[in-house]
Formats: sequence, C-alpha cells, structure tokens
Amino acid sequence: MIFLRRQLPLLITFVAGVVFAAQYYVPHPTSELMLTEVTKWLQIISGFALVLGVTSLFHIHAVKIRRKEPGWAYSLILYGGILGTIAAGFSYSFTAGQWVNGKETINGIVTAFGWIYSDMMVPLQGTMFAILAFFIASAAYRSFRARSREAALLLIAAIIVMMGRVPLGEMLLPVSGDVTQWILNVLNAAVRRAILIGISLGAVALSLKIIFGMERAYLGGGKE
Amino acid sequence: MTFAERMLHIDRRIIFLVIGVCTLLPLLYPVGLAIKVSPEVRGVHDYIESLPEGSVFLLSMDFDPASKPELQPQAVALLRHAFKKNLRVIGMTLWVTGTGLADLVVSQAAQEMGKVNGKDYVFLGWSPGVGSLIITMGQDLYKAFPSDYNNQPTRELAVLKGIQTLRDVNYVVSLAAGTAGIESWYVYGKDKYKFELGGGCTGVIAPGLYPLLRSGQINGLIGGLRGAAEYETLIGQKGRAVAGMDAQSATHVAIIMLVILCNVFYLLIRTSRGQSGQPRG
Amino acid sequence: MPFETLLGAWVATGLTLFIFTFLYQDNPLFKLAEHLYVGVSVGYTIVKVYDTVIVRLLYEPMVNQGDWSLLVPLGIGMLMLARYFPKIAWLSRIAFAFIVGVGSGLAIPRIISSYILKQVEDTVRPLASLASGGGPTFTYNLLDPASNLNALVLLIGVVSVLFYFFFSIEHTGPVRVAARTGILFLMIAFGAAFGYTVMARMSLLIGRFTDLIEFADPRYGRATLWLLLATVATLIASGARRRDLRSCGTSSSLPSRSTMSSTSCSGTRPA
Repeated sequence: MIFLRRQLPLLITFVAGVVFAAQYYVPHPTSELMLTEVTKWLQIISGFALVLGVTSLFHIHAVKIRRKEPGWAYSLILYGGILGTIAAGFSYSFTAGQWVNGKETINGIVTAFGWIYSDMMVPLQGTMFAILAFFIASAAYRSFRARSREAALLLIAAIIVMMGRVPLGEMLLPVSGDVTQWILNVLNAAVRRAILIGISLGAVALSLKIIFGMERAYLGGGKE
Repeated sequence: MTFAERMLHIDRRIIFLVIGVCTLLPLLYPVGLAIKVSPEVRGVHDYIESLPEGSVFLLSMDFDPASKPELQPQAVALLRHAFKKNLRVIGMTLWVTGTGLADLVVSQAAQEMGKVNGKDYVFLGWSPGVGSLIITMGQDLYKAFPSDYNNQPTRELAVLKGIQTLRDVNYVVSLAAGTAGIESWYVYGKDKYKFELGGGCTGVIAPGLYPLLRSGQINGLIGGLRGAAEYETLIGQKGRAVAGMDAQSATHVAIIMLVILCNVFYLLIRTSRGQSGQPRG
Repeated sequence: MPFETLLGAWVATGLTLFIFTFLYQDNPLFKLAEHLYVGVSVGYTIVKVYDTVIVRLLYEPMVNQGDWSLLVPLGIGMLMLARYFPKIAWLSRIAFAFIVGVGSGLAIPRIISSYILKQVEDTVRPLASLASGGGPTFTYNLLDPASNLNALVLLIGVVSVLFYFFFSIEHTGPVRVAARTGILFLMIAFGAAFGYTVMARMSLLIGRFTDLIEFADPRYGRATLWLLLATVATLIASGARRRDLRSCGTSSSLPSRSTMSSTSCSGTRPA
C-alpha cells in the first residue's frame, strides 16, 4: 500500500518526465504519435484540474453559511451567482429554439448565459481591475519619491515612459517618444532578458528536481 | 504640521476625484491628438499586409474581461485588417473566461465585413491545457478541436481545408493578458512548428516581451491601448482605442503632475527638517 | 431596443457603480458586487469546462468516432476528483504525478531552447558589423535597436543584472561594480514597467467610463445617471446607519445572526 501511495506517484513522474523530455529530441513518427495522444490526454485532465481549483470555494462558503459567520449572506449571493450561472448555461433558449449548452450566442441570438456573461461578468471583472487606476495614482502621489539616486533614476524613467507613450506627452516633450523606444528596446530588454534567463534556469532546475523526486510538494500532504 | 506635510497627507479621495475628472472630460470632449506609429506595431501590420489572399491567420484572444478595454480594440483592428485582406481567419482563446468576449469580437467583425462562418472564418472557442493544447494543435489540429464553438465538426469546415497542423498556419497573433499567451505560443508552438508569430498584449506585460521582440522570436508587438490606437491608425479605421487616447494623455499628465508635486513637498519637508536639525524621513 | 438589452445596460451600469463605491469606502454594495463576481465567474468556468471537456473533448469523440482511448484521461481526471473524499484522496496523487511529470518533461527542452539558448544567442552578437565595402564598422545609432552600440549596452545590461542576482559570490571589487551597474539598469526597467502599468490601468478605467457614458444615453433610459443617484443615496443611508450604530456603541458587538437578515447588515463592518 505504501508503494501505491508513495512510490508509484514518484515513479510515474520520473518515467513521464524522462520520456517526454527525451521525446523532444526524437522526432520519430511513433514518438510524435505518442506526443499527440498524451498531450490530448493532458488537455482533458487539465479541465478536471480547473474544476478542482474553482470548486474549493464551495466548501469555504458552505462552512461560512452553516456557521452563520459574519458576512454569510454574501456567501449566499456567491452561491446564487454560481447556481444561477450554471442553470442559465444548461437552460433552453426559446428564442433560438435549442438548448444553450454553455453557448453565449446561438446563431447570433444572445442566450441567458450570454446575457449573464456580457452584462454581469464583463462589467464586474472589468471594473474590479479598473479601480486599480485610482489606487496606482494615489500610491504614486504618496510614495513615488526621489529618496536616493536609484529612486530618482526610476522616477525619471517612469516619467519619460509615461510621456512617451501618449500623444500629449510626445507633443509636449517631442524627444520622449524616441527615448522611450530606446529605454524599452535596449535598457528594459537587457534587464528583462537577464530575469528571463534566470527564471528559466530556475524553472528547468525545478522541473529536474520534480522528475528525480527531490521536490514532492505537488503531491500534497495528508495520509501517506 | 507644515503646508507640505498636510499636502502629502491629503485625503486620497481627492486624488481619485482628479483622476476621475481627467478621464471623463476628454472622453466627453475629445481633442483628437495625432498618434505616432511605432516599429513594433508596424511589424504586425506589415506582415499581415504581406500575406497573400487565402493565407491562414490564427488569432488567439488570450484575455478575459479584465483586459477588455486594452485588448478588444486590438482584436477588432486585427480582424478588420485580416478580413479586408481576405485571409482565412481562425479565432480561439486560451482563457476560459474570455470565451464569450472572443466569440463576440470575431462574429461582430465578420458580420461587419460580410464574412461567412465556416467558409471565411471559424471560431474554435476555448480548450484547456495551454501548453498541451498548443502542442496538440501543432501535432493535429482536429485532435485539439474536434468541433468548433458551434459544435460543427472541424474536419468538414471549408475554411480549414488543407490545414492539418499549426505548421500550415501562416501567421499566429496572440493577444495576451498574461503568460498563457504569447510566451506559451512561442515555447510550445513556434519553437517546434515554425510558424510566424506576432503579439499584442496589455501594458502591464508589454515590457517583459521586449526580449522576445529583439531576438526575433516575435515579429511585432502591439502594446496596450496605445498599440491598438496605432493599429487603428494604420488600417485607417479609428475606433475605441483612438477615442481613448485623449483621456490616456490627460491621466498620464495628471499622474506626472502628482508625482512632481509629491517630490516638491517631500523636498520642502526634507529641507526644513535639515535646517531645524531633525532626522530625515 | 429589446428589453433584455435595456435590462442588461441597467444591470451592467449598476454593478459597475457598486464596484466604484469602494473608492469612497468599503460598503455593502461593493461586497454584494464582489461576491456576485466570484460566483458568476466560478459558475461560468464550470459550465465551460463541462461543455468543452466532457461534451466536446470526451463524449463526442468517444460516441461519434469511437475513440475509446479517451477513457484513459477520463480515468485519470476522475482520480483527481478523489481529493474530495479523504479516504481515497491519495489516489489523486497518481493524477497529479502524471500531469506534473509530463508537464515537466515537456517544459525542460522547450524552455532551454526558447528562453535560454535563443536569448543568449541574441545577447552575444558581434560587436562590429561588416560595412558594404567589406571592412568592419561600429554603428552608433541609438534609435536603431540593432546598432552595435545598443548591442554593447544590452550585453553590459544583461551581464550586470545577472551579476546583481548572483549571490553565490561576495559583491566586492569588480563584482560590486558590475552589480551596481545592474542596479541602475534594474531601476530604469522598473521605471518603464511602472509607466506601462499606469498606462494599462488608465486604459481599463477609460474602458469602463466609455461604457458608462454610453449607458447615460436616453436610448438606455439614462441608466448611468439614475443609478448613480440611487447608489449615492444608498451610500449616504448606509453611512448614516453606521454612524447610528456606532453612537450606540454596538457596532462591533452586534451578534451577526441578528443582523444578517439583509445584505445591509455588513454595514457594521468598520470602515
């Protein structure tokens, strides 16, 4: 039993990792066929993982409602949102004359599911991120100070880029457009490249540690 | 508390109000400032311009409603351009919550340009997996998407005639709001299947994509609303992005003014503390 | 205008304004919109996953094309859901092991090729180019990203930033100089990133304001204006109620059960 619970997952990870890392360098038809099949499987399994991720919310809010914790009424609204959207997703559209089956539009006709998406989800999510505009302005006013030479450099670069990326800025300070292009294409690219190389080396090292069983956090804790 | 200190501790809602007014007024009373086109945006435009009629153009709208104001105008402009050039268009998304937006953008642009679903374009919808999805598409497009968004079997669609894998696609453009986008299309797609790749992205991730642009891994980059406005200017069809540029200008100038003011007050406080021998804050 | 379009405009405007109320202070309207947003997003994802994975990727290929090999990913996917049942939760490890193993295997060679080799290759370019006459030349044009001067600056930038992040050796002597240069590059790049972030956030705000302006049109029954008035009135009423509760000294001690009969109960939450 210990083998099934502990060693088997590590063995699967090792074999799968080694085989698919090697596959990249062996473009034989059989190897390519295996890649096609397995990536298709992975695609499907990723869907299950997505459901597993989002449904963890069910449990958290169910507990809140059961215990009538402060704000449990909002958890009810959350549940209402989930169930209402699911119901709309599987409802029958009388206008289109067919089942909705998770389609926002059927032959150009907007379904109830599409209505929830366009008139609830899009404005809600859009605005949730749009309010950050106000907070970034407030943060800039409160903390964007030239306390040191490095901070001053950061501040000047930010101001030039902010000027150089809008028509009014380019009109007021014509050189800002070209300087912005240079900053982005050369100085910024150099830093981003160094960070990208560093992150990639880290990602490869982590992947190798996973394949060789040195990193096991992905298996989770719980009973062995 | 000195004047400068009071000004630095001003109620943040006053700043919110300034930003709100600076955004609203130019939208109500637009000026129409000229927009200069950058080489990055021209890269994408010129490549589409160079494609012969009937070439296959895949637009992956890898964003969700949170990035709609930046990336939807890019998608609309690219689709208008591709349809005008009579390219065969394949639309899809890697972001599940972006499916409805992508469907709407493709169908509206197609309707506007008089294109027929299944013949001139297809919307494949969303499928999970990101990297594994792109690899499957590179191996066999029909395994990745057995049916399109409208549940039509993809093998029977006229628009996909002669296309078996991503190798048969002439140009892929990913409009990305995160790592599941341009980077994924390069790492899991172009690296092996050798199609030409261009990108469009939100302002937040744009600076991070310049290394790929410099090395030629992507042949152009449309960055944020400004990039969309440049593209609209290039195709001569001004839309939401160009309309938003005045407001964008006003808010940028407002924030620059706020930063300058903040530093003036900070320097005043530092100078006065220096003179009175207090520790610097 | 169809009724559902009109209703949609009113709902979209109302929810947008509810979220914007957070700029004034945290309040029940914002909380309501926030929870609704999470609920609708989760519901949407579940419906899409069902339609795409279960129907389009599994059921149809199996039933219509007889592709029974898809039972394998179905089985592995089901193992993943074993996590819901504590007694057999360990079975989900097999599914995770498969996903993580294949994912790592696929990623290693592709990341090396795309991000490490390609990026290094573009960094170590020749520092001089051949002119049309055949002799070596050094181009100084800063505005041309491919000029030799820019190639040199880029090389210095990449190496110095890598030195800055390399902590295995002490930052003294020439290494310190390199690391300090790296900091300067980093600061400029962070400044550029900040500038672009401001641009992005303002664009999102412009997008929402554009919609609100559109819905203020008489065609939509001036939804924005009416709902703005209603929202402000609700905020004032909610603020007044909160002040009353505070003046009674009960705001933080109210038992949640007795106040939860309506969504406005969370107005007791400290601002």
